[in-house]
Amino acid sequence: MRIPILKLQNYLLVSVQIELDDQTAMQFQEDLLNKIHSTGATGVVVDLTSVEIIDSFIAKVLGDVVSMAELMGAKVVFTGIQPAVSMTLIDLGIHLQNVQTALDLEQGLIKLKQELEEK
Amino acid sequence: MNPELRNILLENSDEIIQDWMDDLKNSKLKEYKSAVSEDLIEQVNREFVNVIFSKLTDEKTSESLEQLSERIVNLGWPLGYLTEGMQSFRSICIRKIIEEVNRDDHEFFLEVMDGVNNWVDPVKNELINKYSTNWTNIISLQKVALQELSAPLIPVMEGITVMPLVGTIDTDRAKLIMENLLDGVIKHRADVVLIDITGVPVVDTMVAHHIIQAAEAVRLIGATCILVGIRPEIAQTIVNLGIDLSKFPTKSSLKRGFEKALELTEREVVSTNEETGKVVDELISSIDKE
Repeated sequence: MRIPILKLQNYLLVSVQIELDDQTAMQFQEDLLNKIHSTGATGVVVDLTSVEIIDSFIAKVLGDVVSMAELMGAKVVFTGIQPAVSMTLIDLGIHLQNVQTALDLEQGLIKLKQELEEK
Repeated sequence: MNPELRNILLENSDEIIQDWMDDLKNSKLKEYKSAVSEDLIEQVNREFVNVIFSKLTDEKTSESLEQLSERIVNLGWPLGYLTEGMQSFRSICIRKIIEEVNRDDHEFFLEVMDGVNNWVDPVKNELINKYSTNWTNIISLQKVALQELSAPLIPVMEGITVMPLVGTIDTDRAKLIMENLLDGVIKHRADVVLIDITGVPVVDTMVAHHIIQAAEAVRLIGATCILVGIRPEIAQTIVNLGIDLSKFPTKSSLKRGFEKALELTEREVVSTNEETGKVVDELISSIDKE
């Protein structure tokens, strides 16, 4: 199962609608980086509203994606992380220090715009 | 109970009641006198005696007993007074029967004891149960009230909410705080949350850890957390304990935290009265001239 990645002007939009397993997450990492390469996007919004479970491995993969995308010149913002998910991550000691977050897709896009303008 | 004993009790009921009342007046009451008025005591005691004697003749008086115990609980009499009163009532009854029936053997005495105990104890149990149920109810009500008060979230402005914390924070409460905080942020679509710890008496490593966790969790769902109300002594303890709070902004008062929150959401407070602004401008320019 692949996660669709949509292009909107120079942004990429990803809405994760399925529960992430290890395989899907790795596939997603690869797809996203390829897409950034092919489109030259400068910003990525990953919406996690319908994701109920994030384990330590998925969290690591997501954290890595951010660093990798940054290397390729694209900012990543995660949006819509559920309270329960956030609590679990904190309990596991995963703080995702380098990751930008926003309340929802709209806020995420605003944040991305601000960040890109600052540069 | 043995019908013979029952008859003795019923025949001598007036005397027993009189003895009991006197006994209560002389010894037991003194400690509790300040709590209740004498008339009321007399009245309730009579009621109690009526109930307990009707229990002797008829087993099914639970309804009136229930009413009585409810009344006593509502009056808020000390439990000690009740148990002492019941004990004296019991001993007076036993003494009366033994006085009336002039038999000196061991077995008879035991029979009297058992009979009276079986008569008085259920009543006593009923009363004590009523008391403890009442207490449990009060405790659970208070628990709910406490929970409601323990982590309120106040939306003060679009995108800005405040959570004032009062009292000690333990692990259970920290969990509740975090849940309320995160749910509230989503519900009110807040950009900035101010956690006010003015009312938290002690901030030790554990409390700080919980606050840091809550702030991190808030960041993950896409909002910013500002810790406000840090008193001098709390600042001292935090630094002395080597706690790192540099990951999110901290301010000394809610006021300054709110200013920071406005700054973060790109807003500011302006005066609607232009006159004052002009006056200040004029003052400044006149000073410049001089």
